[in-house]
Amino acid sequence: MNMTVMMLAEKVLKGTEKLSGVEIASMTIIGLGIVFSGLLILVAFLYLSGGIFKKADAAKKKSASAPAAAPAPVKAAPAKQAASATAAEDDEEVIAVISAAIAAMGEADGKQYRLHSVKPVTRGGGNGRSAWAQAGIHDATRPF
Amino acid sequence: MGGVLDFISNTLGGLWNDSGLNALFSAGGWKNLVMILVSFIFMYLAIAKEFEPLLLLPISFGMLLTNLPMAGLYHPELWVLVDGHVDYGTVLRDGGLLDVLYLGVKLQLYPPLIFLGIGCMTDFSPLIANPKSFLLGAAAQGGIFFTFVCAGLLGFTAAEAGSIAIIGGADGPTAIYVSTRLLTGGGSITTGNIALAAYTYMALVPIIQPPIMRALTTKKERSVKMEQLRTVSKTEKIIFPIAVTLIVSLLVPSAAPLVGMLMFGNLLKESGVAARLIDTAQNALMNIITIFLGISVGATTQAEQIINLKFGGVMLLGVIAFSLGTACGIIFGKIMYIVTKGKVNPLIGSAGVSAVPMAARISQKVGAETDPTNFLLMHAMGPNVAGVIGSAVAAGVLLSVIG
Repeated sequence: MNMTVMMLAEKVLKGTEKLSGVEIASMTIIGLGIVFSGLLILVAFLYLSGGIFKKADAAKKKSASAPAAAPAPVKAAPAKQAASATAAEDDEEVIAVISAAIAAMGEADGKQYRLHSVKPVTRGGGNGRSAWAQAGIHDATRPF
Repeated sequence: MGGVLDFISNTLGGLWNDSGLNALFSAGGWKNLVMILVSFIFMYLAIAKEFEPLLLLPISFGMLLTNLPMAGLYHPELWVLVDGHVDYGTVLRDGGLLDVLYLGVKLQLYPPLIFLGIGCMTDFSPLIANPKSFLLGAAAQGGIFFTFVCAGLLGFTAAEAGSIAIIGGADGPTAIYVSTRLLTGGGSITTGNIALAAYTYMALVPIIQPPIMRALTTKKERSVKMEQLRTVSKTEKIIFPIAVTLIVSLLVPSAAPLVGMLMFGNLLKESGVAARLIDTAQNALMNIITIFLGISVGATTQAEQIINLKFGGVMLLGVIAFSLGTACGIIFGKIMYIVTKGKVNPLIGSAGVSAVPMAARISQKVGAETDPTNFLLMHAMGPNVAGVIGSAVAAGVLLSVIG
């Protein structure tokens, strides 16, 4: 490869001259060859570094999960309770906001609406993607 | 009284002789008129059809300004080499507004600065997650080198053939960068010709690519669903631009200005510590350079340079370059489909021709035609951004070999 680069530095083809068949053929081979070999080196580098990072990630996950298992379930219980309490508060807030939005809509229509239930949308309805992911995909792939 | 009338008629006569209208209706003025009408068509395409408006609008207005007879905004004669060099002192002393703006093109300042902004906006994660994409980005550069063969066989000089071939890279700044370096004046092809062909076909990518993609693939191949890409860590994203700069610049030093600035922009983005610089590079700086680049490249499209048979040849070879690039990417995609036993959808190969992100969106669109639940966009972004690096490397090779 070094030889090729050395040869290239001397500007093999004169810009103002017409090309011979040999020059055209060798330029195509050299050009494609260098583009492929350059990018192949990058591919090799990415596989190598990717492999190292994957291993490092796996090791991190292992070391993180080991001490987490050690503390007894005594401590985990209150944490869970706290989490579920926050979730319940969140749900109530969400329902209040939805009710307010519906009430505002009813005011505009001159009708009254009643909210019977709020259910989380289960994944699978839209190809296994959340509503936000669906919206993102729609935005990125809309017709041009 | 007679003296006054004489003075008035002499003055009016002088004004008429100096007017653009007189020049427009004198011998050869029809060519300017044709170019002004062509600029109107491009403005229509940019405004009404929104074909690459950010570039096509400045280019078309530059085309209008430069073809106004007697306005003297751009002087091609100032850019002809004297003893192998452009006399920049004369350009600054006698040049018009567009001559001064064109300095940034001639000195190869604008394309690398645009690459800086592109680097700030590009997410290389799909490429890092699936390094095989690099090969598709390399394969699509076949369009450049096979067009070089066609141009050489048609009797273009080495510099002209290289400049025409780079249109196949489907990357405007790269095409301008290479053609400015190779076409040093005096020839019948200018950077304006190359830029005009490159941007016209980039705007027409949604029309050029799909028929080739459908013709070269089977329904079974088009409906391949690819595995979800892995998550890429921040450290990997930071190492990537540094590694690419080192590897590519050491291998092909001529590609360093383009690849270096692209990767510098990307490092700014991925580092997460230079929000203000990213904001400037991808917004204010990028917009200023786009305006300067567009209008000054448009200025080089003077009637004499465009209305000739050679420009017809450039346009013809330009569409061949785009088509060959697309075909090479798809064919390599098919090879990867076979090697991976059906895990790679060949449609993502066509995205290797750069034209970010349009080419990737075409892969998505053609894939969704066969199976609406198939989302190839992220998979196609890998070859798409690899194509940018690939065309910069190809540009470096052309610049290294042709002098």
